[in-house]
Amino acid sequence: MQEAARRGRGVFDGFALVMAMFCLSLPASAHHGWGGYLDATTEISGTVESPVSLAGPHATMKIRADGQVWDVVLAPPARTEKAGLNEGIIPIGAQVTVHGNRHRDPKKFEIKTTRLTWNGRVFNVYPDRG
Amino acid sequence: MHDFLGWIQTSGLGHFMRESGPWTYAIVNLFHILGVGSLFGAVVILDLRLLGAWPRTPLAPLADAAASVAACGFGLAATSGVALLATKATEYAGNPFIYIKFPAIAVGLINAWMLHLSPAWQARRRRELSRQEHRHLAWAGGTSLACWLTAITAGRMIAYW
Repeated sequence: MQEAARRGRGVFDGFALVMAMFCLSLPASAHHGWGGYLDATTEISGTVESPVSLAGPHATMKIRADGQVWDVVLAPPARTEKAGLNEGIIPIGAQVTVHGNRHRDPKKFEIKTTRLTWNGRVFNVYPDRG
Repeated sequence: MHDFLGWIQTSGLGHFMRESGPWTYAIVNLFHILGVGSLFGAVVILDLRLLGAWPRTPLAPLADAAASVAACGFGLAATSGVALLATKATEYAGNPFIYIKFPAIAVGLINAWMLHLSPAWQARRRRELSRQEHRHLAWAGGTSLACWLTAITAGRMIAYW
């Protein structure tokens, strides 16, 4: 019985160790959050390729700039909507400027956007981040 | 794969996920986390018991409770998971983690089903199990832990690709 209890204890300790190592090894890069984006901000002007979508964990849109299609990641849907940026207000083909932080991977054309300008209107989806 | 993703995205479920307000995804995501949490919480206790932890805790009542919670958790996670996938399914086509996650779930389910059918599991309420039967249960428990840890890890990484 005592031997069995010790064995059980060993299994448990082993499991705890594996879990701890697993947690420590999680990559810091993130789609959610800012860790996966450069600290420096970038501004990109282009035309709307696919319009604002409030579906999913983050609102998104696609713009075309210099022949390249960019994934524009906005704030979560409720926050994006609160900033006045609803679906259907910016038409496809419209000229927009996005301000935000580029993905750390230079092969990825993705910008986490804090501010979007269209037709003289400014949408501050992350007003506290400038 | 791409056909399936396109089909589910254009389905009624996909439309509902995209067009029913800004909080829909967040709420369905909450149910997914509750499901995964219930599944994994129950599975960890059961699998560690099968591996030999807490030998003085009787197996049969613990297994009954843990297996029920795990099954309900899986049902909730799978249902909400299909809805989350349907939101923008085609965007996951190039994501390598889905090709780890779904096979891991499949192996986890097959393992659970084989455990369920095994003589050792069937006899757990009726009699003391032999050493060999305990070893068999330990293998199933270890496989289960590996499968669900892999599925959850790959699932979480999908969002960071």
